[in-house]
Amino acid sequence: MSPTPSHAESSNGHESGWQAVLLAAARAGDEGAFEVLVRAHQERAYGVALRLTDGPQDAQDVLQESLVQAWTALPGFRGEAGFGTWLVRIVINRCHNQRRSWRATQPLPEDATLPAAPGAEAVVVGQQHRDAVARAIATLPFDQRAALVLHTFDGCTHAETARILGTSEGAAKVRVHRARRALTERLREWG
Amino acid sequence: MNGVPEGDGDRLVCGAAYDDLVAQVADRRAPESPAAHPHLAGCVHCAAALAELQTLWAPVHDLAREPVRAPADVLTSVMARVRELPRQSWYAVVPGERGETRIAARVVAAVARLAAEEVPAVMLALGRGRTGAGMTAEQVAGRPGRPATEVGVAGTHVVVDVQVAVALGSRLESVADRVRTQIARRVAEHTGLTTQAVNVVVADVTDPR
Repeated sequence: MSPTPSHAESSNGHESGWQAVLLAAARAGDEGAFEVLVRAHQERAYGVALRLTDGPQDAQDVLQESLVQAWTALPGFRGEAGFGTWLVRIVINRCHNQRRSWRATQPLPEDATLPAAPGAEAVVVGQQHRDAVARAIATLPFDQRAALVLHTFDGCTHAETARILGTSEGAAKVRVHRARRALTERLREWG
Repeated sequence: MNGVPEGDGDRLVCGAAYDDLVAQVADRRAPESPAAHPHLAGCVHCAAALAELQTLWAPVHDLAREPVRAPADVLTSVMARVRELPRQSWYAVVPGERGETRIAARVVAAVARLAAEEVPAVMLALGRGRTGAGMTAEQVAGRPGRPATEVGVAGTHVVVDVQVAVALGSRLESVADRVRTQIARRVAEHTGLTTQAVNVVVADVTDPR
């Protein structure tokens, strides 16, 4: 029988039922319980990493490091948020730090920080259109990008977005709003 | 398509707030009902702006709908690294004629979990093996931070703590007894260790449907 948990987190972000059992066991050092938690939450965490890094390899590196960090930090995790929310927060912090260190070691000419805008014919169909959107999202400032990814791609409410980003609900709303406007402008320029 | 709304940037010429239209499209909300927003129903400026936004945002929504799967080797790689870290690391030792066999704590835990899940009414299980009575903390687990190779020896007797989620409608006491029997049998079969006690905690009940 598969030990897949029946549900993730309750609406207030706290774990309940079997998830709480798994979390308590993992916190006490049970590797098997941690593995079950990882199976349940890795897709969501990878999805967020994928939209906040430069590609699948970077996303995989971030996810792996985040999971190892989660394991070592678990004894101090008090469960104020659910495991999934906590893991996504670790992922976002790592993506943020990765961008900062990358920028610090590899300064780029000013005009190279934005990818070249594809011509109209390049974004007509399928993959090219999709890639253009991914690049447009990648050009947003990190705080806006993170808010947009959580709200639009991860399906978080403004309150959940705020909890993960460690900000107020009002501030999260503003970031989502600014990201949408900026993305709309960029898509219009490129289309 | 040149859909840049005319107006002051925040409002269309008709006075509608552009951000409201962006939010409606970005959140994929159903169009406002004409009764609630009579303006939207008949306004050509709003209709044009909404149509343009829907075209611009369609590939964003397509991207968001794409299924994302974490690479299969992430879990393997992470768990391998986790097992190298010094936490909960003791070994049971089974002496043999040609040497001794060391069995890691997580093996006992895994055997216990799988054995418990063989009992029909057990939906989920989580096992933890520990050493029997009479062992000092130092003998059992070594000091915190010690690498796994330096942990103490746990002997041939283990105590298993198992948490289970049981199907609603089962008689808990008899399920717990079957879990004890099954774990003791499987631990003996697979590891050669003697199970001194099996402590069963019914941590959750689930609907078997």
